[in-house]
Amino acid sequence: MIVFEDVIKVYDPDVVGLQDFTCHIGKGEFVFLVGPSGSGKSTLIKLVLKELVPNSGRILVAGRNLGTLRKSRVPLLRRNIGCVFQDFKLLPNKTVHDNVAYALEVVGEPRRSIRRKVPEILSLVGLAEKTDSYPHEISGGEQQRVSVARAFVNHPPLLLADEPTGNIDPETAVGIMQLLVRINRTGTTVVIATHDRDMVNRMRRRVLQLEAGRLVRDERRGSYDQVTEEVGDAL
Amino acid sequence: MRFSFFLSEAFGSMRRNWVMAMAAVITVFISTAILGAVLVTRDNLNQGATSLKNRVMIEVFIKDSATPQQTQALERKIQGMNDIKSYKYISKDEALRRFRERFGERIVANLPINPLPASYEIQVKDADRVDSVAQQFFDNPVVDNDPGTHNGVKYAKETVRKMLGTISLIEKGMWVTTGIFAAAAVLLISTTVRLSIFARRREVEIMRLVGATNWFIRWPFVLEGFITGLVGAMLAAAFVWVGNWGIANWIQSSQIDFLSLRVFRMWWQGGSWPLGLMPTLTILGALLGAVGSLVALRRYLKT
Ligand SMILES: Nc1ncnc2c1ncn2[C@@H]1O[C@H](COP(=O)(O)OP(=O)(O)OP(=O)(O)O)[C@@H](O)[C@H]1O
Ligand SMILES: [Mg+2]
Repeated sequence: MIVFEDVIKVYDPDVVGLQDFTCHIGKGEFVFLVGPSGSGKSTLIKLVLKELVPNSGRILVAGRNLGTLRKSRVPLLRRNIGCVFQDFKLLPNKTVHDNVAYALEVVGEPRRSIRRKVPEILSLVGLAEKTDSYPHEISGGEQQRVSVARAFVNHPPLLLADEPTGNIDPETAVGIMQLLVRINRTGTTVVIATHDRDMVNRMRRRVLQLEAGRLVRDERRGSYDQVTEEVGDAL
Repeated sequence: MRFSFFLSEAFGSMRRNWVMAMAAVITVFISTAILGAVLVTRDNLNQGATSLKNRVMIEVFIKDSATPQQTQALERKIQGMNDIKSYKYISKDEALRRFRERFGERIVANLPINPLPASYEIQVKDADRVDSVAQQFFDNPVVDNDPGTHNGVKYAKETVRKMLGTISLIEKGMWVTTGIFAAAAVLLISTTVRLSIFARRREVEIMRLVGATNWFIRWPFVLEGFITGLVGAMLAAAFVWVGNWGIANWIQSSQIDFLSLRVFRMWWQGGSWPLGLMPTLTILGALLGAVGSLVALRRYLKT
Protein backbone atom coordinates (compact mmCIF):
# COMPACT_ATOMS: atom_id res chain seq x y z
CA MET A 1 0.00 0.00 0.00
CA ILE A 2 2.81 2.38 0.97
CA VAL A 3 6.40 2.04 -0.21
CA PHE A 4 9.23 4.35 0.82
CA GLU A 5 12.58 3.87 -0.91
CA ASP A 6 15.62 5.80 0.35
CA VAL A 7 13.50 8.82 1.06
CA ILE A 8 15.24 11.95 2.28
CA LYS A 9 13.32 14.98 3.44
CA VAL A 10 15.26 17.97 4.69
CA TYR A 11 13.44 21.12 5.76
CA ASP A 12 14.71 24.45 4.61
CA PRO A 13 17.25 25.54 7.20
CA ASP A 14 18.97 22.15 7.22
CA VAL A 15 16.57 20.37 9.56
CA VAL A 16 16.25 16.65 9.00
CA GLY A 17 12.71 15.38 8.58
CA LEU A 18 13.38 11.89 7.24
CA GLN A 19 16.66 10.31 6.31
CA ASP A 20 17.43 7.28 4.17
CA PHE A 21 14.01 6.01 4.99
CA THR A 22 12.94 2.73 3.47
CA CYS A 23 9.88 0.74 4.43
CA HIS A 24 7.00 -1.20 3.03
CA ILE A 25 3.49 -1.25 4.41
CA GLY A 26 1.20 -3.85 2.91
CA LYS A 27 -2.46 -3.76 2.13
CA GLY A 28 -4.72 -4.18 5.17
CA GLU A 29 -1.94 -3.72 7.71
CA PHE A 30 -2.32 -1.93 11.01
CA VAL A 31 0.87 -0.01 11.80
CA PHE A 32 2.02 2.22 14.63
CA LEU A 33 4.63 4.91 14.03
CA VAL A 34 6.45 5.70 17.25
CA GLY A 35 9.42 7.79 18.20
CA PRO A 36 10.27 10.89 20.20
CA SER A 37 9.02 14.30 19.31
CA GLY A 38 10.69 15.59 16.17
CA SER A 39 11.65 12.14 14.91
CA GLY A 40 9.73 12.53 11.65
CA LYS A 41 6.37 10.84 12.13
CA SER A 42 4.27 13.76 10.90
CA THR A 43 6.75 14.31 8.10
CA LEU A 44 6.15 10.76 6.91
CA ILE A 45 2.40 11.21 6.94
CA LYS A 46 2.62 14.51 5.07
CA LEU A 47 4.80 12.87 2.45
CA VAL A 48 2.17 10.17 1.87
CA LEU A 49 -0.45 12.89 1.37
CA LYS A 50 1.90 14.75 -0.97
CA GLU A 51 1.57 17.73 1.29
CA LEU A 52 5.36 17.62 1.23
CA VAL A 53 7.70 16.50 -1.51
CA PRO A 54 10.86 14.53 -0.65
CA ASN A 55 14.30 15.80 -1.59
CA SER A 56 15.15 12.41 -2.98
CA GLY A 57 13.91 8.85 -2.99
CA ARG A 58 10.71 7.26 -4.18
CA ILE A 59 7.30 7.03 -2.58
CA LEU A 60 4.58 4.77 -3.91
CA VAL A 61 1.03 4.89 -2.61
CA ALA A 62 -1.38 2.26 -3.88
CA GLY A 63 1.07 1.57 -6.69
CA ARG A 64 1.26 5.20 -7.78
CA ASN A 65 4.57 6.98 -7.81
CA LEU A 66 4.00 10.29 -6.02
CA GLY A 67 7.05 11.78 -7.70
CA THR A 68 5.42 11.59 -11.10
CA LEU A 69 1.89 12.25 -9.90
CA ARG A 70 0.61 15.41 -11.53
CA LYS A 71 -0.49 18.28 -9.33
CA SER A 72 -4.01 18.08 -10.63
CA ARG A 73 -4.23 14.44 -9.49
CA VAL A 74 -3.30 15.18 -5.89
CA PRO A 75 -6.95 15.73 -4.84
CA LEU A 76 -7.73 12.30 -6.26
CA LEU A 77 -4.93 10.77 -4.22
CA ARG A 78 -6.23 12.43 -1.06
CA ARG A 79 -9.77 11.24 -1.63
CA ASN A 80 -8.42 7.73 -1.35
CA ILE A 81 -6.68 8.47 1.92
CA GLY A 82 -8.67 9.14 5.04
CA CYS A 83 -6.88 11.42 7.43
CA VAL A 84 -7.19 12.04 11.16
CA PHE A 85 -5.15 14.80 12.72
CA GLN A 86 -4.16 15.58 16.25
CA ASP A 87 -5.85 18.97 15.95
CA PHE A 88 -8.89 17.45 14.21
CA LYS A 89 -8.90 19.95 11.32
CA LEU A 90 -12.67 20.26 11.27
CA LEU A 91 -14.28 23.11 9.35
CA PRO A 92 -15.33 25.46 12.16
CA ASN A 93 -18.35 26.86 10.34
CA LYS A 94 -19.92 23.55 9.51
CA THR A 95 -22.01 21.30 11.70
CA VAL A 96 -20.84 17.79 12.57
CA HIS A 97 -23.08 16.48 9.81
CA ASP A 98 -21.81 18.95 7.20
CA ASN A 99 -18.18 18.33 8.09
CA VAL A 100 -18.59 14.65 7.34
CA ALA A 101 -20.76 15.36 4.32
CA TYR A 102 -18.07 17.63 2.89
CA ALA A 103 -15.80 14.64 2.23
CA LEU A 104 -18.64 13.16 0.18
CA GLU A 105 -19.52 16.39 -1.61
CA VAL A 106 -15.91 16.61 -2.68
CA VAL A 107 -16.15 13.36 -4.59
CA GLY A 108 -19.48 14.31 -6.12
CA GLU A 109 -21.54 11.79 -4.16
CA PRO A 110 -25.26 12.03 -4.97
CA ARG A 111 -27.35 13.84 -2.39
CA ARG A 112 -29.44 10.81 -1.59
CA SER A 113 -26.45 8.67 -0.72
CA ILE A 114 -25.02 11.50 1.41
CA ARG A 115 -28.26 11.57 3.33
CA ARG A 116 -27.90 7.87 3.99
CA LYS A 117 -24.18 7.55 4.66
CA VAL A 118 -23.58 10.46 7.03
CA PRO A 119 -26.06 9.44 9.76
CA GLU A 120 -24.83 5.88 9.38
CA ILE A 121 -21.19 6.72 10.05
CA LEU A 122 -22.12 9.21 12.79
CA SER A 123 -24.00 6.55 14.70
CA LEU A 124 -21.06 4.20 14.17
CA VAL A 125 -18.78 6.67 15.98
CA GLY A 126 -21.52 7.34 18.55
CA LEU A 127 -22.35 10.89 17.60
CA ALA A 128 -25.90 10.49 16.33
CA GLU A 129 -27.12 13.09 18.83
CA LYS A 130 -24.53 15.70 17.93
CA THR A 131 -25.39 15.87 14.24
CA ASP A 132 -26.29 19.55 14.26
CA SER A 133 -23.66 20.76 16.72
CA TYR A 134 -20.72 22.85 15.61
CA PRO A 135 -17.16 21.70 16.39
CA HIS A 136 -16.73 24.28 19.14
CA GLU A 137 -19.84 22.99 20.86
CA ILE A 138 -18.53 19.47 21.39
CA SER A 139 -15.64 17.96 23.36
CA GLY A 140 -12.21 17.16 21.99
CA GLY A 141 -12.92 13.43 22.00
CA GLU A 142 -16.13 14.01 20.11
CA GLN A 143 -14.35 16.23 17.62
CA GLN A 144 -11.79 13.51 17.11
CA ARG A 145 -14.54 11.02 16.41
CA VAL A 146 -16.05 13.41 13.88
CA SER A 147 -12.72 13.56 12.12
CA VAL A 148 -12.50 9.76 12.15
CA ALA A 149 -16.00 9.65 10.68
CA ARG A 150 -15.00 12.11 7.97
CA ALA A 151 -11.86 10.15 7.20
CA PHE A 152 -13.75 6.90 6.86
CA VAL A 153 -17.06 7.90 5.31
CA ASN A 154 -15.63 7.33 1.83
CA HIS A 155 -14.30 3.91 2.85
CA PRO A 156 -10.81 4.78 1.62
CA PRO A 157 -8.29 1.99 1.16
CA LEU A 158 -5.82 3.86 3.40
CA LEU A 159 -6.33 5.72 6.65
CA LEU A 160 -3.62 7.86 8.25
CA ALA A 161 -3.91 9.14 11.79
CA ASP A 162 -1.45 11.59 13.30
CA GLU A 163 -1.72 11.29 17.08
CA PRO A 164 -5.44 10.65 17.04
CA THR A 165 -5.51 10.16 20.79
CA GLY A 166 -3.09 12.91 21.70
CA ASN A 167 -5.66 15.33 23.02
CA ILE A 168 -8.12 13.06 24.75
CA ASP A 169 -8.55 11.07 27.93
CA PRO A 170 -7.49 7.39 28.07
CA GLU A 171 -11.00 5.93 28.01
CA THR A 172 -12.05 7.94 24.99
CA ALA A 173 -8.73 7.09 23.41
CA VAL A 174 -9.57 3.40 23.75
CA GLY A 175 -12.87 4.10 22.03
CA ILE A 176 -11.15 5.83 19.13
CA MET A 177 -8.62 3.03 18.82
CA GLN A 178 -11.38 0.43 18.75
CA LEU A 179 -12.97 2.44 15.99
CA LEU A 180 -9.75 2.36 14.00
CA VAL A 181 -9.45 -1.39 14.54
CA ARG A 182 -12.94 -1.87 13.23
CA ILE A 183 -12.10 0.21 10.22
CA ASN A 184 -8.98 -1.90 9.71
CA ARG A 185 -11.11 -5.04 9.75
CA THR A 186 -13.01 -3.80 6.72
CA GLY A 187 -9.74 -4.08 4.80
CA THR A 188 -8.53 -0.51 5.16
CA THR A 189 -4.81 -0.06 5.77
CA VAL A 190 -4.33 1.97 8.95
CA VAL A 191 -1.20 3.92 9.89
CA ILE A 192 -1.13 5.66 13.27
CA ALA A 193 1.54 8.00 14.55
CA THR A 194 1.35 8.03 18.32
CA HIS A 195 3.01 8.67 21.67
CA ASP A 196 0.46 6.51 23.45
CA ARG A 197 2.68 3.88 25.03
CA ASP A 198 -0.09 1.90 26.78
CA MET A 199 -2.10 1.69 23.64
CA VAL A 200 0.77 0.36 21.54
CA ASN A 201 1.79 -2.11 24.20
CA ARG A 202 -1.75 -3.39 24.61
CA MET A 203 -2.44 -3.82 20.91
CA ARG A 204 0.75 -5.57 19.84
CA ARG A 205 0.67 -4.57 16.22
CA ARG A 206 3.44 -3.80 13.81
CA VAL A 207 5.59 -0.95 15.14
CA LEU A 208 7.87 1.32 13.13
CA GLN A 209 10.16 3.31 15.39
CA LEU A 210 11.80 6.49 14.15
CA GLU A 211 14.76 8.30 15.58
CA ALA A 212 15.95 11.58 14.12
CA GLY A 213 14.37 10.77 10.79
CA ARG A 214 15.71 7.22 10.55
CA LEU A 215 13.90 3.95 10.88
CA VAL A 216 15.49 2.23 13.88
CA ARG A 217 13.02 -0.58 14.50
CA ASP A 218 10.43 -2.45 12.49
CA GLU A 219 8.78 -5.08 14.61
CA ARG A 220 5.77 -7.32 14.07
CA ARG A 221 3.59 -7.41 17.16
CA GLY A 222 5.91 -4.85 18.70
CA SER A 223 5.73 -2.74 21.82
CA TYR A 224 6.25 0.96 22.28
CA ASP A 225 9.78 0.65 23.64
CA GLN A 226 12.53 -1.41 22.26
CA VAL A 227 12.86 -4.34 24.62
CA THR A 228 16.51 -5.35 24.32
CA GLU A 229 18.54 -7.86 26.25
CA GLU A 230 20.46 -5.15 28.07
CA VAL A 231 17.33 -3.39 29.24
CA GLY A 232 15.88 -6.71 30.33
CA ASP A 233 19.08 -7.50 32.23
CA ALA A 234 19.17 -4.12 33.87
CA LEU A 235 15.67 -4.60 35.21
CA MET B 1 -20.52 18.71 -8.26
CA ARG B 2 -23.68 20.58 -7.65
CA PHE B 3 -24.27 24.25 -8.30
CA SER B 4 -26.80 24.35 -5.48
CA PHE B 5 -24.14 23.11 -3.06
CA PHE B 6 -21.77 25.89 -4.09
CA LEU B 7 -24.53 28.45 -3.87
CA SER B 8 -25.56 27.39 -0.40
CA GLU B 9 -21.88 27.40 0.62
CA ALA B 10 -21.56 30.95 -0.69
CA PHE B 11 -24.70 32.20 1.04
CA GLY B 12 -23.82 30.39 4.26
CA SER B 13 -20.39 31.98 4.32
CA MET B 14 -21.84 35.42 3.64
CA ARG B 15 -24.32 35.00 6.46
CA ARG B 16 -21.55 33.96 8.84
CA ASN B 17 -19.13 36.63 7.76
CA TRP B 18 -21.76 39.28 7.20
CA VAL B 19 -19.54 42.10 8.44
CA MET B 20 -16.94 41.20 5.83
CA ALA B 21 -19.64 40.78 3.20
CA MET B 22 -21.05 44.20 4.04
CA ALA B 23 -17.59 45.73 3.84
CA ALA B 24 -17.11 44.18 0.41
CA VAL B 25 -20.53 45.39 -0.77
CA ILE B 26 -19.76 48.91 0.44
CA THR B 27 -16.36 48.83 -1.23
CA VAL B 28 -17.86 47.77 -4.52
CA PHE B 29 -20.62 50.33 -4.07
CA ILE B 30 -18.25 53.23 -3.51
CA SER B 31 -15.81 52.36 -6.25
CA THR B 32 -18.46 51.55 -8.83
CA ALA B 33 -20.45 54.65 -7.92
CA ILE B 34 -17.41 56.85 -8.46
CA LEU B 35 -16.59 55.00 -11.65
CA GLY B 36 -20.21 55.35 -12.76
CA ALA B 37 -20.26 59.06 -11.98
CA VAL B 38 -17.11 59.58 -14.02
CA LEU B 39 -18.52 57.57 -16.91
CA VAL B 40 -21.86 59.41 -16.85
CA THR B 41 -20.11 62.76 -16.86
CA ARG B 42 -17.90 61.62 -19.70
CA ASP B 43 -20.82 60.36 -21.74
CA ASN B 44 -22.69 63.59 -21.18
CA LEU B 45 -19.71 65.63 -22.27
CA ASN B 46 -19.29 63.35 -25.25
CA GLN B 47 -22.86 63.78 -26.32
CA GLY B 48 -22.62 67.48 -25.69
CA ALA B 49 -19.49 67.65 -27.77
CA THR B 50 -21.07 65.65 -30.55
CA SER B 51 -24.09 67.90 -30.63
CA LEU B 52 -21.84 70.94 -30.59
CA LYS B 53 -19.80 69.55 -33.44
CA ASN B 54 -22.98 68.83 -35.31
CA ARG B 55 -24.04 72.36 -34.85
CA VAL B 56 -20.92 73.77 -36.45
CA MET B 57 -22.68 75.30 -39.36
CA ILE B 58 -21.84 77.68 -42.16
CA GLU B 59 -24.49 80.09 -43.28
CA VAL B 60 -24.10 81.44 -46.78
CA PHE B 61 -26.40 84.39 -47.46
CA ILE B 62 -27.58 84.99 -50.97
CA LYS B 63 -28.09 88.36 -52.60
CA ASP B 64 -31.70 89.23 -53.31
CA SER B 65 -30.57 90.10 -56.81
CA ALA B 66 -29.26 86.64 -57.58
CA THR B 67 -30.99 84.88 -60.45
CA PRO B 68 -32.40 81.38 -60.01
CA GLN B 69 -29.67 80.13 -62.35
CA GLN B 70 -26.97 81.66 -60.15
CA THR B 71 -28.52 80.14 -57.05
CA GLN B 72 -28.68 76.75 -58.72
CA ALA B 73 -25.05 77.03 -59.72
CA LEU B 74 -24.17 77.73 -56.10
CA GLU B 75 -26.17 74.73 -54.97
CA ARG B 76 -24.39 72.49 -57.46
CA LYS B 77 -21.11 73.78 -56.13
CA ILE B 78 -22.17 72.88 -52.60
CA GLN B 79 -23.28 69.43 -53.73
CA GLY B 80 -19.89 68.85 -55.24
CA MET B 81 -17.99 69.50 -52.07
CA ASN B 82 -16.49 66.54 -50.21
CA ASP B 83 -16.32 67.94 -46.71
CA ILE B 84 -20.02 68.60 -46.47
CA LYS B 85 -22.38 66.44 -44.48
CA SER B 86 -25.62 68.14 -45.40
CA TYR B 87 -27.02 71.42 -46.53
CA LYS B 88 -30.35 73.08 -46.50
CA TYR B 89 -31.83 75.91 -48.52
CA ILE B 90 -33.57 78.55 -46.41
CA SER B 91 -35.81 80.70 -48.52
CA LYS B 92 -36.63 84.30 -47.69
CA ASP B 93 -40.06 83.22 -46.44
CA GLU B 94 -38.58 80.49 -44.28
CA ALA B 95 -36.09 82.95 -42.84
CA LEU B 96 -38.89 85.32 -41.95
CA ARG B 97 -40.93 82.57 -40.38
CA ARG B 98 -38.01 81.59 -38.18
CA PHE B 99 -37.40 85.20 -37.27
CA ARG B 100 -41.02 85.60 -36.29
CA GLU B 101 -40.91 82.48 -34.20
CA ARG B 102 -37.92 83.67 -32.36
CA PHE B 103 -38.65 87.35 -31.80
CA GLY B 104 -42.43 87.52 -31.91
CA GLU B 105 -45.10 88.64 -34.24
CA ARG B 106 -45.03 92.31 -33.27
CA ILE B 107 -41.67 93.21 -34.71
CA VAL B 108 -42.34 91.83 -38.17
CA ALA B 109 -46.03 92.64 -38.37
CA ASN B 110 -45.75 95.94 -40.22
CA LEU B 111 -42.72 95.32 -42.37
CA PRO B 112 -43.41 96.47 -45.90
CA ILE B 113 -40.93 94.02 -47.40
CA ASN B 114 -39.05 90.97 -46.21
CA PRO B 115 -35.53 92.21 -45.41
CA LEU B 116 -34.11 88.79 -44.66
CA PRO B 117 -31.92 87.16 -47.31
CA ALA B 118 -32.26 83.58 -48.43
CA SER B 119 -29.40 81.34 -47.39
CA TYR B 120 -27.80 77.92 -47.45
CA GLU B 121 -27.13 76.24 -44.13
CA ILE B 122 -24.21 73.93 -44.58
CA GLN B 123 -23.04 71.34 -42.11
CA VAL B 124 -19.49 70.14 -42.45
CA LYS B 125 -18.42 66.59 -41.77
CA ASP B 126 -15.49 67.53 -39.63
CA ALA B 127 -15.61 70.60 -37.43
CA ASP B 128 -11.92 71.14 -38.06
CA ARG B 129 -12.58 71.69 -41.76
CA VAL B 130 -15.05 74.48 -41.25
CA ASP B 131 -12.52 77.16 -42.12
CA SER B 132 -11.45 75.79 -45.46
CA VAL B 133 -15.04 75.10 -46.50
CA ALA B 134 -16.18 78.58 -45.59
CA GLN B 135 -13.34 80.22 -47.54
CA GLN B 136 -14.57 78.70 -50.77
CA PHE B 137 -17.64 80.94 -50.61
CA PHE B 138 -15.88 84.16 -49.68
CA ASP B 139 -15.60 85.64 -53.16
CA ASN B 140 -18.61 84.08 -54.78
CA PRO B 141 -20.58 86.81 -56.59
CA VAL B 142 -23.92 85.43 -55.46
CA VAL B 143 -23.00 85.78 -51.81
CA ASP B 144 -24.45 88.78 -50.04
CA ASN B 145 -21.22 90.39 -48.87
CA ASP B 146 -20.93 93.98 -47.79
CA PRO B 147 -18.29 95.53 -49.99
CA GLY B 148 -14.76 94.61 -48.96
CA THR B 149 -15.83 92.01 -46.36
CA HIS B 150 -16.80 88.39 -46.27
CA ASN B 151 -19.71 88.91 -43.94
CA GLY B 152 -22.04 87.05 -46.26
CA VAL B 153 -20.49 83.82 -45.01
CA LYS B 154 -21.10 83.31 -41.30
CA TYR B 155 -19.59 80.76 -39.06
CA ALA B 156 -18.23 80.64 -35.55
CA LYS B 157 -14.57 80.54 -36.25
CA GLU B 158 -12.55 81.10 -33.09
CA THR B 159 -15.30 80.08 -30.69
CA VAL B 160 -15.71 76.73 -32.36
CA ARG B 161 -12.05 76.05 -32.37
CA LYS B 162 -11.62 76.89 -28.71
CA MET B 163 -14.65 74.93 -27.70
CA LEU B 164 -13.53 71.86 -29.59
CA GLY B 165 -10.09 72.12 -28.05
CA THR B 166 -11.55 72.33 -24.56
CA ILE B 167 -13.87 69.41 -25.14
CA SER B 168 -11.14 67.15 -26.41
CA LEU B 169 -9.02 68.11 -23.41
CA ILE B 170 -11.85 67.33 -21.00
CA GLU B 171 -12.45 64.07 -22.82
CA LYS B 172 -8.85 63.03 -22.40
CA GLY B 173 -8.94 64.00 -18.75
CA MET B 174 -12.04 61.92 -18.27
CA TRP B 175 -10.41 58.87 -19.79
CA VAL B 176 -7.50 59.22 -17.42
CA THR B 177 -9.85 59.66 -14.45
CA THR B 178 -11.84 56.62 -15.55
CA GLY B 179 -8.68 54.57 -15.75
CA ILE B 180 -7.51 55.64 -12.32
CA PHE B 181 -10.82 54.90 -10.67
CA ALA B 182 -11.22 51.57 -12.42
CA ALA B 183 -7.78 50.54 -11.19
CA ALA B 184 -8.59 51.78 -7.70
CA ALA B 185 -11.82 49.79 -7.73
CA VAL B 186 -10.03 46.56 -8.66
CA LEU B 187 -7.40 47.15 -6.00
CA LEU B 188 -9.93 47.94 -3.27
CA ILE B 189 -12.09 44.96 -4.08
CA SER B 190 -9.26 42.46 -4.32
CA THR B 191 -7.87 43.74 -1.02
CA THR B 192 -11.21 43.29 0.68
CA VAL B 193 -11.59 39.81 -0.74
CA ARG B 194 -8.03 38.93 0.20
CA LEU B 195 -8.69 39.97 3.78
CA SER B 196 -11.76 37.79 3.99
CA ILE B 197 -9.98 34.84 2.42
CA PHE B 198 -6.96 35.30 4.65
CA ALA B 199 -9.28 34.92 7.60
CA ARG B 200 -10.40 31.61 6.15
CA ARG B 201 -7.11 30.18 4.90
CA ARG B 202 -7.25 27.38 7.47
CA GLU B 203 -10.56 26.30 6.00
CA VAL B 204 -9.00 26.25 2.56
CA GLU B 205 -6.12 24.14 3.84
CA ILE B 206 -8.53 21.64 5.39
CA MET B 207 -10.58 21.42 2.22
CA ARG B 208 -7.44 20.58 0.30
CA LEU B 209 -6.49 17.87 2.77
CA VAL B 210 -9.87 16.20 2.35
CA GLY B 211 -9.24 15.99 -1.37
CA ALA B 212 -11.17 18.97 -2.71
CA THR B 213 -10.01 20.05 -6.14
CA ASN B 214 -9.02 23.67 -6.57
CA TRP B 215 -12.18 24.45 -8.48
CA PHE B 216 -14.29 22.78 -5.84
CA ILE B 217 -12.77 25.18 -3.31
CA ARG B 218 -12.94 28.15 -5.64
CA TRP B 219 -16.55 28.02 -6.74
CA PRO B 220 -18.15 29.12 -3.46
CA PHE B 221 -15.65 31.96 -3.13
CA VAL B 222 -16.15 33.07 -6.71
CA LEU B 223 -19.92 32.97 -6.33
CA GLU B 224 -19.61 34.93 -3.12
CA GLY B 225 -17.52 37.56 -4.86
CA PHE B 226 -19.94 37.61 -7.77
CA ILE B 227 -22.97 38.12 -5.55
CA THR B 228 -21.22 40.73 -3.44
CA GLY B 229 -20.11 42.60 -6.54
CA LEU B 230 -23.56 42.33 -8.08
CA VAL B 231 -25.31 43.78 -5.05
CA GLY B 232 -22.79 46.57 -4.58
CA ALA B 233 -22.78 47.50 -8.25
CA MET B 234 -26.57 47.37 -8.51
CA LEU B 235 -26.83 49.79 -5.61
CA ALA B 236 -24.19 51.98 -7.22
CA ALA B 237 -25.93 51.91 -10.60
CA ALA B 238 -29.21 52.89 -8.98
CA PHE B 239 -27.47 55.64 -7.05
CA VAL B 240 -25.73 57.04 -10.12
CA TRP B 241 -28.89 56.81 -12.17
CA VAL B 242 -30.98 58.65 -9.58
CA GLY B 243 -28.26 61.27 -9.24
CA ASN B 244 -28.05 61.71 -12.97
CA TRP B 245 -31.80 61.92 -13.26
CA GLY B 246 -31.99 64.48 -10.46
CA ILE B 247 -29.32 66.67 -12.00
CA ALA B 248 -30.92 66.41 -15.42
CA ASN B 249 -34.24 67.54 -13.99
CA TRP B 250 -32.69 70.31 -12.01
CA ILE B 251 -30.84 71.68 -15.02
CA GLN B 252 -33.97 71.52 -17.10
CA SER B 253 -36.17 73.22 -14.54
CA SER B 254 -33.65 75.93 -13.78
CA GLN B 255 -33.47 76.85 -17.45
CA ILE B 256 -29.71 76.86 -17.40
CA ASP B 257 -28.53 76.47 -20.93
CA PHE B 258 -24.85 75.98 -20.53
CA LEU B 259 -23.65 75.75 -24.11
CA SER B 260 -27.05 74.17 -24.69
CA LEU B 261 -25.59 71.14 -23.04
CA ARG B 262 -28.21 68.68 -21.97
CA VAL B 263 -27.79 66.11 -19.27
CA PHE B 264 -28.88 62.84 -20.76
CA ARG B 265 -30.93 60.42 -18.80
CA MET B 266 -29.09 57.23 -19.18
CA TRP B 267 -30.68 53.95 -18.71
CA TRP B 268 -30.95 51.68 -21.64
CA GLN B 269 -29.58 54.20 -24.02
CA GLY B 270 -26.16 54.96 -22.76
CA GLY B 271 -23.99 56.54 -25.33
CA SER B 272 -21.17 54.17 -26.13
CA TRP B 273 -22.40 51.33 -23.88
CA PRO B 274 -23.81 48.31 -25.70
CA LEU B 275 -26.29 47.46 -22.94
CA GLY B 276 -26.67 50.93 -21.56
CA LEU B 277 -24.41 52.28 -18.90
CA MET B 278 -26.25 51.02 -15.81
CA PRO B 279 -26.49 47.33 -16.78
CA THR B 280 -22.88 47.49 -17.92
CA LEU B 281 -21.88 48.91 -14.56
CA THR B 282 -23.77 46.17 -12.72
CA ILE B 283 -22.20 43.38 -14.73
CA LEU B 284 -18.81 45.01 -14.35
CA GLY B 285 -19.19 45.06 -10.57
CA ALA B 286 -20.22 41.42 -10.45
CA LEU B 287 -17.29 40.36 -12.62
CA LEU B 288 -14.99 42.51 -10.53
CA GLY B 289 -16.12 40.66 -7.41
CA ALA B 290 -15.67 37.24 -9.02
CA VAL B 291 -12.26 38.03 -10.45
CA GLY B 292 -11.22 39.62 -7.18
CA SER B 293 -11.99 36.33 -5.40
CA LEU B 294 -10.06 34.33 -7.98
CA VAL B 295 -7.02 36.56 -7.71
CA ALA B 296 -7.11 36.59 -3.92
CA LEU B 297 -7.42 32.79 -3.75
CA ARG B 298 -4.49 32.16 -6.03
CA ARG B 299 -1.81 32.12 -3.37
CA TYR B 300 -3.70 29.65 -1.21
CA LEU B 301 -4.22 27.19 -4.03
CA LYS B 302 -0.74 27.18 -5.46
CA THR B 303 0.56 23.69 -4.81
N1 LIG C 1 7.63 23.03 8.24
C1 LIG C 1 8.79 22.73 8.84
N2 LIG C 1 9.85 23.53 8.63
C2 LIG C 1 11.05 23.23 9.21
N3 LIG C 1 11.25 22.18 9.97
C3 LIG C 1 10.22 21.36 10.21
C4 LIG C 1 8.94 21.60 9.67
N4 LIG C 1 8.10 20.62 10.06
C5 LIG C 1 8.84 19.80 10.85
N5 LIG C 1 10.10 20.22 10.94
C6 LIG C 1 11.18 19.57 11.66
O1 LIG C 1 11.34 18.28 11.16
C7 LIG C 1 11.60 17.36 12.20
C8 LIG C 1 10.56 16.26 12.17
O2 LIG C 1 9.31 16.82 12.48
P1 LIG C 1 7.96 15.98 12.59
O3 LIG C 1 6.86 16.93 12.71
O4 LIG C 1 7.93 15.01 11.47
O5 LIG C 1 8.17 15.22 13.96
P2 LIG C 1 7.15 14.29 14.72
O6 LIG C 1 7.78 12.96 14.83
O7 LIG C 1 5.83 14.35 14.10
O8 LIG C 1 7.12 14.97 16.14
P3 LIG C 1 5.85 15.03 17.15
O9 LIG C 1 5.81 13.69 17.81
O10 LIG C 1 6.26 16.10 18.11
O11 LIG C 1 4.67 15.38 16.38
C9 LIG C 1 11.59 18.16 13.48
O12 LIG C 1 12.94 18.46 13.81
C10 LIG C 1 10.88 19.42 13.12
O13 LIG C 1 11.37 20.50 13.87
MG1 LIG D 1 3.90 15.14 14.68
